Amino acid sequence: MNSKEERDSNVSRRELIQSAAFVPLAALTLSAQQPAAKGALTPGQMKTLVAFIDRLIPRDELGPGAVESGAQIYIDRVLAGPNANEKATFIQGLEAIDAYAKRVHGAALAELSAENRDQVLNEMIDSPFFSRARRLTLEGMFSDPYYGGNKNFAGWDLIRYPGPRPAVAAEDQALKADVKPYRVSAYGTKFGQ
Amino acid sequence: MAINLKPVDVVVIGLGAAGGVAVLPLARAGLKVAGLEAGTWMDPHRDFHADEVYNNVRRLVSSSPKAQRECPTVRATPSQQARSAGVHPMMNAIGGTSIHYWAQSWRLKPWDFRTRSESIRRYGPNSIPAGTTLEDWPVTYDDLEPYYDIIEQEVGVSGKAGNIQGRIDPAGNVFEGPRQREYPMPPLRGAGFTDHMMDAARQLGWKPFRPPAAINSQAYRGRASCVFHGYCSAGGCHVGAKNSTATTTIPDAVRTKNLTIFDKAQVTRIVTDSNGRVTGVTYIRDRKEYFQPAKIVLLAGYTYENSRLLLLSKSKAYPNGLSNNHGQVGHHYFGHWTSNVSALFPYDINVWYGLPAQGATVDEWADDSFDHAGLGFIGGASLHVYTERHPIDAAAMNTYGRAPLFGSAWKKFVHENAGRVASTYLQTNTLPYETTFLDLDPEVRDPLGDPVCRITSGGVRENEQRALQHAQDKMEQWFRAAGAIEVTKPPANGPGISTHAYGGTRMGDNPETNVVDRWGFSHEAPNLGILGASVMGSSGARNPTLTLQALAWRTAEHLVQNWKSLAG
Repeated sequence: MNSKEERDSNVSRRELIQSAAFVPLAALTLSAQQPAAKGALTPGQMKTLVAFIDRLIPRDELGPGAVESGAQIYIDRVLAGPNANEKATFIQGLEAIDAYAKRVHGAALAELSAENRDQVLNEMIDSPFFSRARRLTLEGMFSDPYYGGNKNFAGWDLIRYPGPRPAVAAEDQALKADVKPYRVSAYGTKFGQ
Repeated sequence: MAINLKPVDVVVIGLGAAGGVAVLPLARAGLKVAGLEAGTWMDPHRDFHADEVYNNVRRLVSSSPKAQRECPTVRATPSQQARSAGVHPMMNAIGGTSIHYWAQSWRLKPWDFRTRSESIRRYGPNSIPAGTTLEDWPVTYDDLEPYYDIIEQEVGVSGKAGNIQGRIDPAGNVFEGPRQREYPMPPLRGAGFTDHMMDAARQLGWKPFRPPAAINSQAYRGRASCVFHGYCSAGGCHVGAKNSTATTTIPDAVRTKNLTIFDKAQVTRIVTDSNGRVTGVTYIRDRKEYFQPAKIVLLAGYTYENSRLLLLSKSKAYPNGLSNNHGQVGHHYFGHWTSNVSALFPYDINVWYGLPAQGATVDEWADDSFDHAGLGFIGGASLHVYTERHPIDAAAMNTYGRAPLFGSAWKKFVHENAGRVASTYLQTNTLPYETTFLDLDPEVRDPLGDPVCRITSGGVRENEQRALQHAQDKMEQWFRAAGAIEVTKPPANGPGISTHAYGGTRMGDNPETNVVDRWGFSHEAPNLGILGASVMGSSGARNPTLTLQALAWRTAEHLVQNWKSLAG
């Protein structure tokens, strides 16, 4: 630790340790779990998203769809928070669908009939945006309602997920068992929807 | 300049699965130990939740933000540009990855320690795959058996013995090496589906068993038994039934008053003197730099970080990195070749609850349990079916071409089938190769300006690929026998970054090809020990943790017994 070069590098290293770029560990702990103050999407972008996910998982005789379950609320929140790094790409995708709908079907996605929107979805089914938007919609509809979606546990009812019981008996794990649903968030009832 | 601290006997870098067990025999022997951990204590009530987004989507219990800032880069071959691996499978916390792991707690087979010589003996020298750097381990199963036993007792492992001192019990794994006694707890209960799979395996003439796990099947040493709630994978246990080192050996070591834990301490260098002995470590805590002098340094980070910290710790005695004058640091690295063969059943299999360690395992097609003549590979894979299925993952299921990806027809499909899918974990006997290695990335740096670890994964390995495909075919046979109507076998590929990462500081008698000796101490820096899967020279066809913990305890015990000669 004697050469001038080593002394210089020690000085710059000390600056780095004390600089803002090196966030202390305590400041990082679980920050990803804090909800964002406001959502990521404009009303126009939200309208396109709703028109899209409404056809992805529609309301029908099996119950509520993605929109009634609040999947768009989940997506809006995560794009403003933990998934902020994909916000710009996601919004570009929404705008590209709208542009495509106008060019090929003559109107913005939200203005199209259910049949025409299904057609758009089928035409873009191999695109990265479709996969990503579908994945985020599934996260919204099937996650703990703490995150804004899965309202009234509609997602869990759809796939017959019995819910996170505090303790699970052997009979709750029997083959072909019809387990009574347990409908409580992992965070109890003390969270704002 | 760094703030100088009072010298201690031993500094342990990293209080995870490995460092977290090594501190106990040291502290019990009266040595003064400083445990440096980049993370901190996690609180079961505040930090562990039955929540798929929290555990599995955001990975808040399986990769800390600190680890993410140091995420390795990965490339297949040196001609490619390495890119960020995306997720660093290292948890910075007291307990480390043992907080969120599946807790499958296997002993390796006697064959795993002598794979090279046993394969040559049985199949001839040409059976050894081209390009592998495989050596027999410097320790045998019999050498390690007493330490496996200690960890099973101290940490707490549930299971059923298949071989007690040569007495075979078909309720356990009949292929395992001889054990001195039964597990301290009976195996976890089976679920309806895993029992059904056991029956199907028996119909095929195989010998299935309920696998061992560091999960309490009953109250153990004052800790609760498992509640099977279905959020074990990548999550911490809110009732303390998963036996991480944070709830077992670390608190036991703290109670001796000989272990002092420094949490949120990010170790930056291991320091050496002109004679090549290590003198201590520098670390950063709350934006201040400290120097902790010690007579012995035990390096116990995750595999990628063990090699990285050595390569970063350059000095006059070690111009290419600590303990790297033979150029072996980072070499003999490999990620475990594994696979998930999934299946669809025509009825509800009800595997929502449970945990990945609640399963049925078949060992017929692993290791050298079967005759490999004419097959073109050595080794094989264990087959493991298990419980625990989360709702987002279930909804994202393969539709097997039976339904579209959206709309009412998709809803109808997942309504019927989301609870009918089974997952598996196939783990091969993976070997090290010349062209798979770790070094420092020449471009990507962490926020301190230090290079991150770079993984060169090496591309296609015919031996591992054939072994995995063979195992996938056996898994399909098992599923079909159990009544599955669809079976999906993914391509048999090797990993980039891995939660089962081995080597880089391999253990062996020859200092030309190994970084540490048979006791886990450096061939070059005599008072530096290295703990973790980074010392393992082959994987075995099963999870690494129990083996690396047995080795860590053995290294610590060796240090206690040879204190004067090692501490100098």
